[in-house]
Amino acid sequence: MAVGTLGTRARGDATSPFRHVDVVLVVCVAAIAALGTLMVFSSTRGTGPAPDTSYLRRELAFMTLGGLAMVAVSAFDYRKLFNYVWLLYGGALLLLVLVISPLGQESKGAQAWFGFGPFQLQPAEFAKLALIGVLAALLSHYEGDIDPRRLGVLLGVAGAPMALILLQPDLGMVLIYVAILMGMLLVGGVRGRHILALSLLGVVAVIGVFNSNVLKQYQKDRLTAFVNPESDARATTYNINQSTTAIGNGGITGRGLFKGQQTQYQFVPEQETDFIFTAVGEELGFVGAATLLVLYGIVIWRIWRTALLAKDWFGRLLCVGVLSFLVFQIFENVGMTMQIMPVTGIPLPLMSYGGSSIVTTFLALGLVLSVHMHRFR
Amino acid sequence: MDAESPRLRLSILGVVIVSMFGALFARLWYLQVMSAGQYQDVAVQNTTKVVYEEPPRGRILDRNGKVIVDNRTSLVVTANPHELDSSGKRDEILFRIAQELTRSGRPTKVRSLERRLHDPQYNPLQPVPIAVDVPEDLYVFLSERAEEFPGIAVNREAVRSYPYGAAAAHVVGYVGRINEEELRARQGTPDHPKENPKPYQPDSNIGKEGVERVYEDELRGTPGVRRIEVDSLGRVVRTVEHRPPRPGNDVQLSIDIDIQVSLEKALAEQLDLVRGGYTSDGKIAAAPAGSAVMLEPGTGRVLALASYPTYDPSEFVNGISTERYQELTRNPAENPFVNRAISGQYAPGSTFKLVTAFGAMSSGMINGNTSYVDGGVYQLMKCSGNCTRQNPNRQGHGTVNVSSALTVSSDVFFYWIGDRFFWEADRWGQGLQSAARTFGFGAKTGIDLPGESAGNVPDADWKRRTWESLPPDQKAKGDPTWYPGDSVNLAIGQGDMLATPLQLANAYAMFVDQGVHHKPTVVMRILQPASEAADPAHPAVIREIEPEVTYTADMPAAIHEPIRQGLLGVASSGGVFTGTAYNAFRGFDTKAFPVLSKTGTAQVNNKADTALYVACAPDPEYKYCLSIVLEEAGFGGNVAAPVARRVFEPLAGQQTEEGSKPSVVRSSD
Repeated sequence: MAVGTLGTRARGDATSPFRHVDVVLVVCVAAIAALGTLMVFSSTRGTGPAPDTSYLRRELAFMTLGGLAMVAVSAFDYRKLFNYVWLLYGGALLLLVLVISPLGQESKGAQAWFGFGPFQLQPAEFAKLALIGVLAALLSHYEGDIDPRRLGVLLGVAGAPMALILLQPDLGMVLIYVAILMGMLLVGGVRGRHILALSLLGVVAVIGVFNSNVLKQYQKDRLTAFVNPESDARATTYNINQSTTAIGNGGITGRGLFKGQQTQYQFVPEQETDFIFTAVGEELGFVGAATLLVLYGIVIWRIWRTALLAKDWFGRLLCVGVLSFLVFQIFENVGMTMQIMPVTGIPLPLMSYGGSSIVTTFLALGLVLSVHMHRFR
Repeated sequence: MDAESPRLRLSILGVVIVSMFGALFARLWYLQVMSAGQYQDVAVQNTTKVVYEEPPRGRILDRNGKVIVDNRTSLVVTANPHELDSSGKRDEILFRIAQELTRSGRPTKVRSLERRLHDPQYNPLQPVPIAVDVPEDLYVFLSERAEEFPGIAVNREAVRSYPYGAAAAHVVGYVGRINEEELRARQGTPDHPKENPKPYQPDSNIGKEGVERVYEDELRGTPGVRRIEVDSLGRVVRTVEHRPPRPGNDVQLSIDIDIQVSLEKALAEQLDLVRGGYTSDGKIAAAPAGSAVMLEPGTGRVLALASYPTYDPSEFVNGISTERYQELTRNPAENPFVNRAISGQYAPGSTFKLVTAFGAMSSGMINGNTSYVDGGVYQLMKCSGNCTRQNPNRQGHGTVNVSSALTVSSDVFFYWIGDRFFWEADRWGQGLQSAARTFGFGAKTGIDLPGESAGNVPDADWKRRTWESLPPDQKAKGDPTWYPGDSVNLAIGQGDMLATPLQLANAYAMFVDQGVHHKPTVVMRILQPASEAADPAHPAVIREIEPEVTYTADMPAAIHEPIRQGLLGVASSGGVFTGTAYNAFRGFDTKAFPVLSKTGTAQVNNKADTALYVACAPDPEYKYCLSIVLEEAGFGGNVAAPVARRVFEPLAGQQTEEGSKPSVVRSSD
């Protein structure tokens, strides 16, 4: 089926999906992606006479790939997904098992990647979508009537990938899954006291994990360093001190694109990935950083609105799942660079360098667009 | 479930989301709007580094512009102990460096490199110089293979060079690496840093002694400043600002390097000649040390200043080893770093009789015609017990007045004056001591060199205070009372009277300058660095150091003339009386070049006498005042006066057989 044919046929049809593209969402997403590409370039171009464009070119490729994937997904009716969620979920679990086998690669302390030449694939990113799909399917099937047994099924379905990811171990990713689960349970109709009990259980679990040997010491350090970052010169505190310095150095209007000392001279480790927000903060200042947050805010608002307008439980819950992980990743990532959240390796959606995260985010937004477009048919 | 339920639940989610974004905005506002300044300072500190470049020091010139201390470039191989250790190949690197040094013509063992690296004088956090003045090809070799030798570096350093070798070492001093105390004094502490326009780094050099030390602020140049931007790995991104180093000012001394060289030579050769021989009173002369100062009367400027034994300041270039320093300073009596000309304190012996004569005449006790019969022995007044004092060998000089008493150095005449100062104190007061102080004894002259001593002018008060400060168990052996014998001893410059060679020269210079007392100086002017002068041969004068008159004493002709005549007779054969330095100057034409002088011989317990001689010449337009002190060497007229003759001959335009080599003559003082 060619898009052109669809478009021709859609003209004059008020319920045609292509008359209900959420233009505001698309424009904001495109703006964030463009800014992200620019800032990745700024933080990787180096100080040599000829700028290093290798990151820029790869980032452009990811963004193009992601954008195309978003368009493709949005064109499909999301309801067709309903029949494949368990297949996707099973595939995701398989990949998560394979990645902790010798087939996977370890990087930065977590066995989380498959290597394909110069590119790396992070299955836990794509598995987010599988989880959202399965939870949306289950919750829409329950239609808001969730007894403890059903809750147990939901928790079990979410717990399986989370357990596999903990084995990598990638704590930040697990927290994203927790956010997806909690957001979807909330909107999916789980009773208030169950949500409260789960939250309490979560707190107890966090304390338990901290006092056990599940986490490696560096992970504990990272998580606690933000409480007292001036305490020592360990790598983590160095990282967040440089990060905060970069953001503070930006001031109101920023040092100017390609002119931030902290950014250009690579004082912030992992800047093109997890700490990309510091490049925005330093070079574009409060004006730029606040604009970025506003753009994110609009995107979130449009997803929230789509969830509200969705014609069925499945579409609404897909949107809530996407909403949950985007909000959590934005809040945790930006909060981490400003020392109000612990340091975890969570990318900033559409900004951080990294193919898996970018493509996954675009796919998720494609789903949301599909829900929006197909709400009258 | 009703239709409103999802809407309500979505609203709850919405509230949570809005509050999360609210937190992010608040924090962003705090960081970028309220505290931006603080973070901007940190960011600048992060990326800006300041590198200082050591400036060349100013040169030191003699009074005629001859360069005594210059600069040259030295190639220095340094090893950073810390980097060597962390390279993990320390032994291999040191072995290869020793190999390369040996190949370049300086046989080196790993063991000697290790010794150098462990020498306590070096800060282990700083690169340690392991070979200096290496040839250019080794410099090229090591520079090209820097990555094979981590921790090893070859630097071009501007170091001191000494065209006249060790000459004037005690005047110019030496430079060395700044120590922690000096650094703190000039730069403050990290908590309380001091502003310094010529900032020092931990590896900077600083003047440690002599003019290098006293005129440090002039000689030190202004360090170059390179303000650079670095990235997170410390790589230089760009130079923000570069101010090249500026050389320090040149310092022109009043020293005449030709006189300085001849004085040092005469002094050293004389001590060599005397050493090991017998003195005229039968003791063995150890002659371990000596010193001499030549001043310019009328200005107080130092023409030459010598202290023996001496040292070679070039040994301090690139650092002297601790072993070598200990070897040089092992025997305090022969420590070459002591500047005896200004810090050595000696009983002046008969050279003090100038003061006694002046004190007796200015107090009114005697005049130029007052005569006394010198029978060779003096009987102390109102005395019981051991009451006699005598001239050397009990030699009598017959009837003498103040002039002839000075010429022949009659002890009996001056014992008589000292005795009267004791018994007739109600009439003449503390005339001896006040005369001594008038001539500048007992106080530092204020010369612009470090380490000067004040000497001592003993009186009744001093004797009591000294006794009172003794520990209780030694008080029985001491004695707080001032006796006639103390006054008598003081009158001939023996006992507790102590003077530095500089004070002696300055006292005689004051006498020939009709009572004008100067503060002696070694530096005449500060000059613009030659490299910055429009005409390098005639650099601009930045500052003249004018002669400074400390005070003027009344010296009427009735007092001055008899003393002058007496002292002029010391080196000449005029009339009935033969001077005590006559033999030393035999053959020297004192009519053409009249020498006003006094010999002195000071007794030292169980050792050979200190030989002294002070001379000013030529009368009456004096240009030179020279004091000479030879420790444990014998009579001043025998061994010290010949040194003066040797130095004076070229200045007088005379050349004799005796005056061209060291010699010892016979005299009575």
